[in-house]
Formats: sequence, structure tokens, C-alpha cells
Amino acid sequence: RQHKISGVSSGCQQGGCLTCSDYNGCLSCRPRLFMHLERIGMKQIGVCMTSCPPGFYGTRSPERNTCTKCRSECDSCFNRHFCTRCRAGFYLHLGKCQENCPEGHVRSDAQRECV
Amino acid sequence: RQGPAAPLCPSPCQCEEDGIFVMVDCSEMGLSSVPTGLSPLTTYLDLSMNNISEIQPRAFHRLHLLSELRISGNQLRYISGQALQGLHNLKVLMLQNNQLERLPDDAPWDLPNLLSLRLDANLLSKVPAEAFRGVRSLRHLWLDDNSLTEIPVMALDSLPSLQAMTLALNQITHIPDYAFTNLSALVVLHLHNNHIKSMDSKCFEGLLSLETLDLNYNDLQEFPVAIRTLSKLQELGFHNNNIKAIPERAFVGNPQLQTIHFYENPIQFVGKSAFQFLPKLHTLSLNGATQIQEFPDLKGTTSLEILTLTRAGLSALPLDLCEQLPRLRVLELSYNQIEDLPSFYHCSALQEIGLQHNQIRRIESSTFQQLSSLRSLDLSWNMIEWIHPDAFSLLHSLIKLDLTENRLSSVPVAGLGGLTHLKLRGNTELYEAFSPDHFPHMRVIEMPYAYQCCVYGSCDSYKPASQWDTEQSSTNEDLHKRTVAMYPIHADTHYDPDLEEFQLEIEESKLQASVQCTPTPGPFRPCESLLGSWLV
Repeated sequence: RQHKISGVSSGCQQGGCLTCSDYNGCLSCRPRLFMHLERIGMKQIGVCMTSCPPGFYGTRSPERNTCTKCRSECDSCFNRHFCTRCRAGFYLHLGKCQENCPEGHVRSDAQRECV
Repeated sequence: RQGPAAPLCPSPCQCEEDGIFVMVDCSEMGLSSVPTGLSPLTTYLDLSMNNISEIQPRAFHRLHLLSELRISGNQLRYISGQALQGLHNLKVLMLQNNQLERLPDDAPWDLPNLLSLRLDANLLSKVPAEAFRGVRSLRHLWLDDNSLTEIPVMALDSLPSLQAMTLALNQITHIPDYAFTNLSALVVLHLHNNHIKSMDSKCFEGLLSLETLDLNYNDLQEFPVAIRTLSKLQELGFHNNNIKAIPERAFVGNPQLQTIHFYENPIQFVGKSAFQFLPKLHTLSLNGATQIQEFPDLKGTTSLEILTLTRAGLSALPLDLCEQLPRLRVLELSYNQIEDLPSFYHCSALQEIGLQHNQIRRIESSTFQQLSSLRSLDLSWNMIEWIHPDAFSLLHSLIKLDLTENRLSSVPVAGLGGLTHLKLRGNTELYEAFSPDHFPHMRVIEMPYAYQCCVYGSCDSYKPASQWDTEQSSTNEDLHKRTVAMYPIHADTHYDPDLEEFQLEIEESKLQASVQCTPTPGPFRPCESLLGSWLV
């Protein structure tokens, strides 16, 4: 189920932009929002959002808040090494997405988890 | 996405059917309250980036099937327990980027299946002891970018299933003993960008599953010895702190460590046994620890691939260095006082060696023997007077060799056929002009004197090389010919400017494509070495 990317609108009318251009969208964000470069065809549009899109995780720091790609087998993650939801065909156990589950656990396709 | 006309969809939201269920998106619609008339079959509701400052009691009480609720980017100051009543199946609750100043204490939220709770980027200065009593299944908790001044120890006691938590970007100054004692499933703990000055020695007791601990950008004065209990720790960061020493056996309790980031600390002392028995550690970098006089004992740290130990006080290297570190790929030991080198014979995976700015005098035949993967060797700014003729003979992969600023009078070329970069500047006793035949792949070469670049055609790039080589006389006519060759504008009457221009461009491109040799000969640095030694 692909959710719409929440907390975002495009181009210069976005609520989250601090500075922006019609061609590149947001150039900087209002405080505490995440900046994400969204690819639309050949172009990259700056988008400011309260949470990073699916497949990305947010990192906050005093200077800026950025979105970084999760590992390929994760649909969503907490950080680079810790997944919170796996891609189809992978099963989550303690933040890792694996094709098989450790001993004592079985694969749940509905939740994509080792249970 | 369907338009707003669908019967189940409250205006002005957008709805999408997912089988019998409904996904409702009301984000960025200027709403000031939660829309009414939401279908009980709603599984996803997005209210983010609106102007909602309050949630009416029981606003979601019919949404028993709601799995994900996003209310981030609004103006909420407080959310009572009654406001979230009825959300029995909620798994993800996003409240980040609001103005939350406090969490409910007496009647906490009752969300028995909640897995992810985002409270980051709010105004929370503390978390009441009972705040999380109704979310016992929680796995992921974001509390970063708030105003917490202490670890919410009591509140965390209610979260035995927690696996990942960030408390980064707060004003926490101290971590007390048993701060996380009930979090036996916690795998990731971020505490970066706080003001942590001190930690009690048992503060991490109970974190039996912790793999990642991030203490970067704090004010730690001492090495965090409390990590000793973290037997599963794989990734540790405490860079940008104020730590001056790493004690002996510092990581004795952390055999699973793979990465340790501790740059930007005023580290002066490192215990010789500090980095022992870390079989999974692949990178170790220490810069500026001036009190390190002896090379660390890396017994049992057998997977190290990158070792950087610069600006310390090393004067010698252990003879069995490569036996301890058989997988070393990068060895960076610049800015020490190393005089003698052991044989790096067993470091067969070595690709880069940096030994610049040391006090090395000799290179023996065995020093770099068998390093068939070595690509870059930097020996600049030493005192090297002699290199054994076979020292480089087996370095088949070597492409960069820097011998700048040494005391060489000769350089053995055996084995250097693959070089693309060779630097010899500053070796004032080295007069030999190396034939290009030795270096068929050369691109950049720095010589002590300009005339040594003439063999690369820098002096007479406008004349066919073969015609240049066959002339042996040294009469004025030859001098005139060479001057014409170097400065075509002085040519005689048959001069054709267009042809000349065309020739110039060909030769220029040929020159740039072949070798860039410096210092470049010129009017004041002619190709001939005047009076037997180059004075002008």
C-alpha cells in the first residue's frame, strides 16, 4: 500500500519552504522540517516535509534535517541499520530484514515479520 | 486517488479505497479541526500540515481499524487520553512538528498495539512517569529535537518491547545508573547533540541487545567506561566530545564492535591495550594523540583494514605488525618520528601506505616486498638517502610514488613501469634525467630540475623528435635551430602562420595528452644544464 507522500506540496507554494524557486522547488526549509530532493523526470525538486517519504529515514541535526535512503530490503527504517518494515519477500526481526527467520520464529507474509 | 465526491470521504479530503477499507488524505488543506464523518473502515488518515490546535475528545472513537494516523505539522499543545480513545489497532502515530509541551500523566493514551510513536520536534521538557503506560507494545520512539533536560527513566520503564529510540537534540547533561534498565530489546539508541557531560558507570545496565550507540556531539570529559556492559555493541560513536584519553582495555566488553568513530576529541593518551581483541573492527583512526609513543598492541583485532595513526609520537613500528593485521588495506602513519621500517611482507592486501613526514633514512629490499596490490606509496618529507635497487621490483600495481623532499641521489626504476605519478622534487642531489621508456604510463612527474623534464619533450615540442635526436653538433647554427624550434615567431622567410598555428595545436594536444612534467623548462630554465650544474 503506497501512501501519498504526506506533509508535502510541490513547487513554490509549499507551506514548508523557507526559500524556493519555481524551477527547483524548495531551496531551504522552515526550521525542523526535512529537506528531500524528489526526482521528477530529469528534474530534482526540493520538498520540505514533516517526515521523509517511504524508503527514507530522517536525520535531525542543529544545522539541517535530511532524508537518507534506507537499505534496499527495507520499506521504511529508523536509521541506516535498523528497518521498521520490510520489502515483500523479506521478514523483519530486531530491525533486520532477512529472507529467512531465526530459529524459533516463523515467517508472517501479512506483516512481513518473523513471529 | 479518488476525488472528494466519494460518499465515505469527508470534504475537502481525498480518499482512496483499499478493498473494503478507506485511506483518507486531508494533508495541507488548511483544516483547523479533525473532520467529522470519517468512515469506521478508515485504515489510514493523514491530517498533517494543517492548522489543528486541538483534538476534540473521542474525535477518533469509531476508528477501531485505523492503523496509521498522521497529525504532524500542526499546532497541537496537548493531546489528552480521551482524544485518542478507540484506536485499538493503531500501529503508527505521527505527532512530530507540533507544539506539544506536555504528555498526559494521570490518564495516558491507551494504544495497546502502537509500534511507532513520533514525538520529535516538539516542546517537551519532561516526560511524566506514566506517559507510556498505555503503549506497552511500542518498538520505535522518536523524542529528538525537544527540550528534555534528563533521561525519562521512569517513563521508559513501561516499554519492554522498545527496539529503537532517539533522544538526540535535547539538553540532557547526565546519564544516571540504570537509566535504561528495562529496555532489554533496545537495539538502537541515539543520544547525539545533547550536553552530556557525565555518565554513571552502570548507566547502560540492562541494554542486552544494544548494537548502535550514538554519543556524538556532546561534552563528555571522560571515556564512557559504562559501555563495558554492552556485549552486542557493533557501532559506537563519540566523536566531537572533550575526551582526552582512551584507557587500557577500553573495549574489553565489546567484542562485536565493527566501527568506532571518535575523531574531533583532544585525545592525548591511548592505552596500549585499548584496541585489543576487536575481531570485527575494520577501521581505526587516531589523529593528533601526541602522547602515543608506542604503537598500539592490536592482538586479536585481526580484521582491521584501515589504520590511521597520524601526528603522534611513534618512532618505531612492531616487527610483527603485519602478522597482527593481515587484512590491512590502508596504512596511514604520517607526521610521526618513524626511523626504521619493518618488512610489510605479510600485509599482502595493502593498497595505500602513507609514511610522509617521518625520519626514514633507508629503504631495504624487503621493506615493501611482495606488496603486489600496493597502488600508492607516499614517502615524502623524510631523510631517505638510499633505496635498495630491488626495493620496488615486485610492486606491479604501484601507480603513485611520492619521494618529494628526501636526500636521494639515485632512484631504482626496477618495478616502476606502471607509474602514472612520480614526485621527486626537493632531492637536490638527484641529477639523473630518467628516460620516458622507464615509465610508459607516466602522466604527472615532478623533478628536482627543469632540464630533467626535457626528455619529455617539454623543451622542443614544435619539432619532430627524431630530427631533434639525430643532431649532435653544438654550433651556433644548432642553437639557432633550437631557438626557432622553441619560438616559431622568429622563423625565417618561408614562415606560414596558419600552418604554424595548426602545428602548434597538434603538438600542444600531444604534449598535454602525454606527460605533465614540472618544473617546466623555459627561457630562464633552459634544457641545457649550464656550466655542468644548473646555476641560473
